Amino acid sequence: MRVASLWSAYPTTALAWILNTSAKLIALKHARSLGLTERLRALCWAGLAITASVGAHELPKGSAELAPGYRELNFSAPIPGTYMLPALHPAADAEVIDDRGTRSSLHDLFANHLVILSFIYTHCADPNGCPLASFVMSQLATKLAADPGLHDRVRFISVSFDPARDTPATLEHYAASFRKPGFEWYFVLPTSGDGLTTVLRAYGQQIVRDPSGEAYAHQLRVFLIDEHKQIRNEYSASFLHADTVLADLRTLTGSIPDPDTHPAFRGAPNPLLAGSGDYKGGYLSGDYTTRSRSLAARHGHGAETPPTGAPLGLPSSAPSSAKAIALGRRLFFDRRLSHNNTLACASCHIPEQGFTSNELALPIGIEGRSVRRNAPALYNVGFAPRLFHDGRETRLEQQVWSPLLAANEMGNPAVGYVLDKLRALDDYANEFRQAFTSGAITMETLGAALAAYERSLVSANSAFDRWYFGHDATALSTAARAGFELFRGKGGCGACHEIGTTSALFTDYAFHNTGIGFRRSMGLSAQSSIPVGPGTQLALVSGAVAPTEAPLNDLGRYEITQDPRDRWAYKTPSLRNVALTAPYMHDGSLPDLSAVVDFYNAGGIANEGRDPRLKPLHLSAEEELQLVEFLKALTGDNVEALTRDAYLAPIGDRR
Amino acid sequence: MRLPSVRTGFMAITLAVSIFGAGLGRADETCMSPYMAKIVGQEDFMYVWTLGVAGVGDEQDKLVTIDVNSRSKTYGKVINSLSVGGRNEAHHSGYTDDRQFLWAGGLDTSTIFIFDVHTDPAKPTLAKTIDNFVADTKGVVGPHTFYALPGRMLITGLSNNQDHGGRTGMAEYTNGGEYITTHWMPTDDNLQGATKSGKLADGYGYDIRAQPRLNVMVSSSFTGWNNYMMNLGKMMGDAEAMKRFGNTVVVWDLHTRQPKKIFDVPGAPLEVRCAWGANHDYCFTTTALTSKIWLIYRDQAGVWQAQAVADIGDAKKIPLPVDISISADDTRLWVDTWNDGLARLFDISNPHAPKQIYSKKIGEQLNMVSQSWDGKRVYFTSSLLANWDKTTGPEGDLQYLKGYQWNGNKLTPSFSVNFVGQKLGRPHQMTAGAYALYAKNAPAPTAPALATVK
Repeated sequence: MRVASLWSAYPTTALAWILNTSAKLIALKHARSLGLTERLRALCWAGLAITASVGAHELPKGSAELAPGYRELNFSAPIPGTYMLPALHPAADAEVIDDRGTRSSLHDLFANHLVILSFIYTHCADPNGCPLASFVMSQLATKLAADPGLHDRVRFISVSFDPARDTPATLEHYAASFRKPGFEWYFVLPTSGDGLTTVLRAYGQQIVRDPSGEAYAHQLRVFLIDEHKQIRNEYSASFLHADTVLADLRTLTGSIPDPDTHPAFRGAPNPLLAGSGDYKGGYLSGDYTTRSRSLAARHGHGAETPPTGAPLGLPSSAPSSAKAIALGRRLFFDRRLSHNNTLACASCHIPEQGFTSNELALPIGIEGRSVRRNAPALYNVGFAPRLFHDGRETRLEQQVWSPLLAANEMGNPAVGYVLDKLRALDDYANEFRQAFTSGAITMETLGAALAAYERSLVSANSAFDRWYFGHDATALSTAARAGFELFRGKGGCGACHEIGTTSALFTDYAFHNTGIGFRRSMGLSAQSSIPVGPGTQLALVSGAVAPTEAPLNDLGRYEITQDPRDRWAYKTPSLRNVALTAPYMHDGSLPDLSAVVDFYNAGGIANEGRDPRLKPLHLSAEEELQLVEFLKALTGDNVEALTRDAYLAPIGDRR
Repeated sequence: MRLPSVRTGFMAITLAVSIFGAGLGRADETCMSPYMAKIVGQEDFMYVWTLGVAGVGDEQDKLVTIDVNSRSKTYGKVINSLSVGGRNEAHHSGYTDDRQFLWAGGLDTSTIFIFDVHTDPAKPTLAKTIDNFVADTKGVVGPHTFYALPGRMLITGLSNNQDHGGRTGMAEYTNGGEYITTHWMPTDDNLQGATKSGKLADGYGYDIRAQPRLNVMVSSSFTGWNNYMMNLGKMMGDAEAMKRFGNTVVVWDLHTRQPKKIFDVPGAPLEVRCAWGANHDYCFTTTALTSKIWLIYRDQAGVWQAQAVADIGDAKKIPLPVDISISADDTRLWVDTWNDGLARLFDISNPHAPKQIYSKKIGEQLNMVSQSWDGKRVYFTSSLLANWDKTTGPEGDLQYLKGYQWNGNKLTPSFSVNFVGQKLGRPHQMTAGAYALYAKNAPAPTAPALATVK
């Protein structure tokens, strides 16, 4: 017999419950003369659908597996107060009538209590449906009886959505099976059809009536509602269990755990503000260990602003207005400045990554379009008389429009489009009014604001500056001093990375062919293996990945001057903060400073236009290390302050 | 009349069990949330979340509906196409727990499109667009997996708005589309109470699946916006970029959403599929770069572990395992390898020692796989990512949805839709739909579904 065989599959714990519920005792009176199978069957239906005549239904097929709520919890219940239950949405109200015929509203019944609310119909014949909800709530009521402090703060409400059959009298009969003495458990019906429809929709209950009219398909959901009528959790049949609901109730009533001591709430420590938060140092070695940083730790610091005077080692410059800098900073981090709201200036010029990207040799633009050249670091960019690797632009105010409009960068279709979009955003109009005399959002003022912020990215007073310009003999390490001698002597670096008598920008802002561009154009970069995991590189089978995009050619300064002598010549970059701006060269092809020194020690790459000053240097390994030490001594003393200042700006996203 | 055929996990759809459930087999849709109502008979539709392509048709992302009921006159045909505007890097989609709405995300713009699939299952409509996901979540970029929890959606991210790298988080939204909260992936400076089982805690994310009876969620890790938006060949040549792939799997407490244990799983573990069996305390994932199947399992002492259990092809040829699909009886695992276009079937009867027992080349490239609950119908699509996809290949084998019959031994083609030929774009994730889910009947003259006629 199907029912009997199904019963044999029921766990003993569920049977024990059935034998112990008061509802079953009622049925038992009528079932004493029955055999075991019939008695169990009677018990079942007393519990699962008490108003149905015993034996009138067959147990549904396919439900032999009872929901977890009928069993012991399979895992340790969560520890109350160690986790969050953020509000989902307000719990809707409805006019209702209860099983005693009293009219009220759901919110009246909430009465500033914690509420467990379920939707049921008393003829429900699926043990994993309404009977599960009522059973778990009944179990919960028993557990609450042992916790008087909580007991009085909690109410249950079971809402029927079957007004045709669930009259107040029917509900009263049903309620008698589950209610616990001294505990407030309301069994109610919406007072109107419209009210029913509204409340079902508000609680996300999709009800489908069986064509026979006997049964409903619905999504079992039980709601945890706080004292402010906010839904704090929802439980489906897979999730509903008295122990977890009890833990949630206690979480809502308990004191808030100390976020400093509880591991679940331990806040991130102050982040390091230099270097990628996704540290990959030593990735190719076997003992790579992550040092990842929390994204939630991006906090600006209002007390610190970039220095406005000239720090040791730099020429003086005219300060921009604080309001223009603040506006420019906000614009710099606003992803809405790209056509599809995905890229800000700061997406490629990332503050903690040296205002470049340490994570990419070559950046990518809108929709992932390829960009040919490494994102230049922006420290001290205000001093540069020529901008871009090919030096095609002369003023920052003008330069900013190139990436905004480039089809493979921020992808905006027109100047007017950008300005119109800005005018419609938040309170930019107000900030422009405060920052500029004209007060208007124009091509000029947008450029001026971004340029003002970029000019504020001044960084010097490095160990080298303090030693060389400040005459502090202790400021520079012995190795770095030896490196400095190599820099301006045997290495010949200072010929292009110039150092002045009172200040140094470490660049001649001129264009030189080192062979890096030539190598790329000629397809001479042979790649033998790729990293596929920490300490794991794969030697690829030739042709394993078919190229879908031809490599983008790049002829450097020649593209501007059309002079063949300028083929593959690129602007000398400043070396200030160079330790922070990997990877290196105009195409990001050298991963670290050692690789750069190696490259120049070998004399670059031979080609017709190679700068004649490049030749093998015959530096020893120790000398190479000394040069690297010198380069590391060029890091300014305000790098973290600049990052913290950058973090003052929110990242602009669609709201 | 047509007898609907859906089934729930513990979903308390009385009709689904007593009426819908007549003569149920084991079916589906085997990678759905356990909370989800499931189609256990014949599915009527595949909703295909499709990338727009410049130069193809209207160039924008769209939800394409394909009739997949062999009794229908329009079997194997596109019966609806709903364009949503823009190219958002259309990627994955997932139903709400009541299966009334299909959420579909764009990895580029982080836009989420919520489709009403219940009012007219043959003709979904756009019910709501969430275009402030990044701001809502305080910086999560690239909504990937849409995983149904009771009354809410758990959405994994791939990236962030600070550096477009791989550190990210997960967000919860109500079924109505209202933001609830963000859960950041554990990082070294804030492990959130989790323990590192090895050396790695990269904070990356990708997919998530749950085993509710064990109160466990398992998440995997891919890469950030910089990489998933980059041209594949270019990325392979960028050593820095290649270091930015996820190498971790995290086991979470499902109820509290707190990370508990972080495993070193190197080489970009992607899709997570958990076993269905009542005593099968494990999930599978596959690593894209290192081409391995990993088992995330609870050992006899009740402790969660991670173990590489099989190779997938020759890693040096970058087969690039992508989507996987587990059979309802936990004995078979389909593994698609994108680069060689092979569907590979593994016998996972012993989850610690999967064995490849069958393979078939489906097309020039192969990404997603979906199977019916009984495993007899298997569907494949081609597209991986806009800037990773191949652009040359035989007509019809490049961007397609193909349906097959699986008889236990081999795949036999049923129908094929050429997405470029029909000017649709590039097909990504498929989700099955059915009239039966909504107690609706197919319009005449469509014949009754096969599975439930007895």
